[in-house]
Amino acid sequence: MTIRKLTFLTATLLGASALPALAHYPFCTCEAHGADVICTGGFSDGTSAEGVKLDVISYEEDVLIPAKFDASSKYSFQKPEGEFYILFDAGPGHIVEVDWQDVEGIEQ
Amino acid sequence: MSAGVQRGEARTRLGRWWQDWRFHLSALAVLVPLAALPRYYSDISLFTGDAGLGSGEAKHVQVGPFDLQIAEFWLTAPIDMGVAGARKQFSVSLCQGCEHRIRAIHARFGKPRSLRAAGALFSGSHVRQTADLQVPPSVDSSDNLWLTVEEWDGTVHHGDIAVDQVSPATAAWLARKEKQQ
Amino acid sequence: MARLWLLLHGWLALPVWAYVFFICVTGTIATVSHEIVWLFDPSVRASQPAGIEERMGADALIAKVMEQRPGSEMQWVSWPVETHFAPTVFVSEPSGRGVGLYVNPYDGHVQGEAASVGFSTFMRALHGWLFLPWTTGYSWGWYAVAFMGIPMLGSVITGILVYKKFWRAYFKPRLRIGKGARLFWGDFHRLAGIWSIPFIIIIAVSAIWFFVEAILSDTGVTVSTAGIPTVLERESIPVVSQSDDLPPVSLDGMIATAQTAHSGLRTDSIFMPGNAFDPVQIFGRGSYPLVFESATIDPYSGEVVKLRRVSDYSVVELVTNSMRPLHTGDFMGLWLKVIYFSFGLLLSMMVLSGMLIWTKRTVRETRDILREGRAGRLEPAE
Repeated sequence: MTIRKLTFLTATLLGASALPALAHYPFCTCEAHGADVICTGGFSDGTSAEGVKLDVISYEEDVLIPAKFDASSKYSFQKPEGEFYILFDAGPGHIVEVDWQDVEGIEQ
Repeated sequence: MSAGVQRGEARTRLGRWWQDWRFHLSALAVLVPLAALPRYYSDISLFTGDAGLGSGEAKHVQVGPFDLQIAEFWLTAPIDMGVAGARKQFSVSLCQGCEHRIRAIHARFGKPRSLRAAGALFSGSHVRQTADLQVPPSVDSSDNLWLTVEEWDGTVHHGDIAVDQVSPATAAWLARKEKQQ
Repeated sequence: MARLWLLLHGWLALPVWAYVFFICVTGTIATVSHEIVWLFDPSVRASQPAGIEERMGADALIAKVMEQRPGSEMQWVSWPVETHFAPTVFVSEPSGRGVGLYVNPYDGHVQGEAASVGFSTFMRALHGWLFLPWTTGYSWGWYAVAFMGIPMLGSVITGILVYKKFWRAYFKPRLRIGKGARLFWGDFHRLAGIWSIPFIIIIAVSAIWFFVEAILSDTGVTVSTAGIPTVLERESIPVVSQSDDLPPVSLDGMIATAQTAHSGLRTDSIFMPGNAFDPVQIFGRGSYPLVFESATIDPYSGEVVKLRRVSDYSVVELVTNSMRPLHTGDFMGLWLKVIYFSFGLLLSMMVLSGMLIWTKRTVRETRDILREGRAGRLEPAE
């Protein structure tokens, strides 16, 4: 939620002087399970990321795995060779980037 | 009448005072909004822009041909928002006349890998737009705050500023985090 | 059994009666805060200038405002449901300051500026969350106020249980005046109580929902079926050399397109895009007036990209979204606000009378105890 909308709320509906409080953040966290990586996405208010684009991209900017979050708001894939990052992409500004080094439990 | 809340049978002066006044003490709750009022007004003036671009001092950042000003929204270290990670908000102001050329401004801790991964997007008017950034776990104090400007014709420019320049509290937070690792 | 309920009834509100009283009074004022502003500030009124019959369309209205405020950017506009209020056009000024402008709906004249914290905002913030800040989640003040819905509901239930066959009082109301404060306040408390049962239940249940809503939000659980926020794709945006070369945006055109897509859609407010990838949003009360319908429009193509009608809401959403208007009473016009205000006063008086009953009783018992105490002290001397 933008500050603009919050200002509107401030003036009319709620009056909330919130910044992060009422936001609708996209989030994406990934964990390594053996040779697989499982990513869970969503929005901080609890909205599912089903259908949101998730791309696994190499440091050379090649899209290794183009995918979408499934109905359980997750996606799992085999860990690619080399260095990569995972991009949760719900459109410009609504992205979350997870570097392979930030994947929980991955062998570095 | 003997039902209901009893007065009690205190004999001392203090005990009697307590019995007579205990249920009126919640009137002190009125002090809470009184105490919270100054902060409420200062937050509102920050939201409306009456207090300036942000809480922090505005700094110039050159992004390609554009001279932007950036300020941190709150003077604090990133706030932990659970699954959404540590968050930090900034506001920017465009150079005069630049609003006709600039389509979007993105911000990211660390150099962006691509336009798609340019980070958070600023929203608002051309004189004051705000963005809410995640501080990725792998970011360290050597990373700068990077701004990406997209022009309406598709041209993309990058520019950066040291974190301690624009948010000393965030720089200190990053340094503390590194020490702990 | 009734004695136990009375004891419980007393303990539910009495220890915090002053706090509950404060919440009731501020809430009561908040329900009619807009009307109070209307009385004292002529700039918020939609007065019809002589010789002008029709209200202006959205484009003409905004154009007129921009003429008077050169260099400002329009961010949103809202037309109050009560048409005797002037529309608000929120602009961002060249200085960076955002301000709401009260605009005459007939001639587009900017009648005044809204204070950043006006009277109604002040009352709502005071009543709603005691001005406590919202930093990482719902304000603690919100929790502290909304929690009181629980003892309030408990008070209604125990009150009914104490007062067996309470419906009799609907037919034989009793209010003894001139027979002492204790009897008067007792009668008043019971009479006001049984007449406000539905109102108190509405206020208490909606407050409990606000409490639950805060917990859900702070734990990342939503009942919303709104889905993923609409963000326009980068590829769908026209490539031009400057923003001036973009096709002009017509608010009236977008309203018309939205109504073609959903004929029942009202236009209560329009939000302009916050950035190049943000759509325009039109909000309006639905045929079921307790929820808002919306149309999300791509400003470049003018097409509706998302619609949210009453029929798109889940039952849970319809119920939960109704809670706020049910709590504030601002969905039917002035007459309902007056009813809410009256019952609010009655409820505030009930909190006060409940405390007075206890005090009167206490005074009598104090007298008794003091008498016994004195007698006790006198005993050894005898």
